[in-house]
Amino acid sequence: MSIRSQLFLGFFIFILIFIVDFFVNQRLSRQVLQNTNYISNSETVIRNSNVLHKDMIEMQSGFRGYLLTGQEVFLQPYFEGLHSVPPLLKEQLSLVGSSGQREKLDSISNLHDSWLKYANQLISTRMDTLPESGKRYNELFETQLRMEVGKKLNDRIQLMFSAFDNDEYHLRQERRAALQSTLKYTRNITLTLTLISIVMALLIGSYFIRSITRRISLMVSLAEKISQGEFKTIDDKKDDELNKLSLSLNAMSQQLEKNFEELTKKNNELDQFAYVVSHDLKAPLRGIANIISWIEEDHEKDITPEIRNSLGLIKGRATRLENSINGLLEYARVGKMKKGSELVDTEKLIAEIVDLLVPKGYEVIVENNMPVLNTEKLHIYQVFSNLISNAVKYNRNEKGRIIVKAEELSDAYRFSVIDNGPGIQPQYFEKIFVIFQTLQERDAFESTGVGLAIVKKIVEDYKGTISVESEPGKGSTFTFTWPKNKEDEA
Amino acid sequence: MKHSTILLVEDDYLDVVSVQRAFKKLNIDHTLHIAHNGVDALGMLTDEKSKLVPDIILLDINMPKMNGLEFVRIIKNYYSLKNIKIFMITTSGEEYDRIAAESMGVTGYIIKPLNFKDPDSAGTRKLMEELLQES
Repeated sequence: MSIRSQLFLGFFIFILIFIVDFFVNQRLSRQVLQNTNYISNSETVIRNSNVLHKDMIEMQSGFRGYLLTGQEVFLQPYFEGLHSVPPLLKEQLSLVGSSGQREKLDSISNLHDSWLKYANQLISTRMDTLPESGKRYNELFETQLRMEVGKKLNDRIQLMFSAFDNDEYHLRQERRAALQSTLKYTRNITLTLTLISIVMALLIGSYFIRSITRRISLMVSLAEKISQGEFKTIDDKKDDELNKLSLSLNAMSQQLEKNFEELTKKNNELDQFAYVVSHDLKAPLRGIANIISWIEEDHEKDITPEIRNSLGLIKGRATRLENSINGLLEYARVGKMKKGSELVDTEKLIAEIVDLLVPKGYEVIVENNMPVLNTEKLHIYQVFSNLISNAVKYNRNEKGRIIVKAEELSDAYRFSVIDNGPGIQPQYFEKIFVIFQTLQERDAFESTGVGLAIVKKIVEDYKGTISVESEPGKGSTFTFTWPKNKEDEA
Repeated sequence: MKHSTILLVEDDYLDVVSVQRAFKKLNIDHTLHIAHNGVDALGMLTDEKSKLVPDIILLDINMPKMNGLEFVRIIKNYYSLKNIKIFMITTSGEEYDRIAAESMGVTGYIIKPLNFKDPDSAGTRKLMEELLQES
């Protein structure tokens, strides 16, 4: 799966959890709202119930007062109750939730109706001044009031009300408990979902960090290995964008390894070629030289000066060819002879070379800041000895002078070998470093044209540079750099 | 005067002539047998009829069929031949050839050309001593 899809999936899971969280919370908050409504409803019901009961009791007191005194003013609460009780009952019926409570209200209503009927009879007969009404009142008074019909009805209403109130209290208690538990449940659910989100976020995050950084660090180490010449590959079986990078790195590594192997093979072939050529060319050459000297020995008296001269030319050319072959062999060998680095005091090294190569009468100035190098002694020796021998070889100045200087750079030393010889024209500055190129006639000087080519090859093997500055007639300055540390070598 | 026998193993005609001329200049009159490669030389040394047992073998290194170093290895494992003095005469200035030859017990190692007039190596001087002493 591609990294893009994985990231998308991770976010999708995350968003899903939040959506679930949202809906659960919403449902629970509806429950909370419902329970809160129930509770406030219930409070209204109780209040109404009290008002209702009070109104009914006042109607009963008024009724009793009127019967005792006959004064109609006592009937005022009774008539008010006739108006206020029915709407209150109606409102109560709409508010109560349970059927039990509704039944109780119904029976209160019925009992109240019965009581009204009873009270109404007594009140209307009492009010009427007709004689048969008085008779009827007395009859009612004796059969009903004295028999406590009204009182019994009122007691039952009283009982019904206390049962109603009691049940309403219980109901409210239950709903309050339900509200508490819903609130608690909501808190728990929210907490749990939040925890799950955090854990998921950590898991998804750490999965990405681990899988991506691990692979990136693998690639980084591969790139480092490649830069150090170790052509390895990495095993990356996942199929995503990073995998493409791994595959290209692997392909690059393999291609580099292949090219490097081929280069090494070609280099070895070239070395072998130079070696074989040098040996096989030298044998017949020596043969020619031998035959000439045999001719000279065997026919000493017979040969004319012209022939002797020609034989001398043949020998000279043979010698020159042999020198060229030796030079070629030496050039091919540069860099192959390695003994390992050691501390080389360049001041002492130059003193040795000067002792060996520079004739007496030369002025040699070696500056006293010459460094000590940790390097292959033979190589730096070859560079200095070739440059100093050139400084002497071509110098026709009566007072020959050689100056050797050193200058410290950030990671290398810059050495200069300065002579007061004939100098070199600028158009030859490049040419002199090419193998077999000399600026002098071949026979005038013992020069194979290999020396500076070898110097350049060695210096460049050490990742250094070499250059010349010169003015004809005033001398030349050869400048090259040499690394400070062994690690900088080729 | 002891008449010593010398076997020269050399594939290059010019080098053979060169050795013959060097001997002539020293006025030493040894019997010089010539083989053109290691295989021929080994054939001459092990042939029942000829019964050639030289005092000195002069041996080139770079030769066809069997090179000088292989020849030395075989001779030094041959009971009847292992005491023959062997001098390498070669164009090979390679250090590893010299080390290989000396580790197998050759008496001298000479780099061509062979020059008795102006002997510039220990090998050449040693060969001269051997030749003059035995003649």
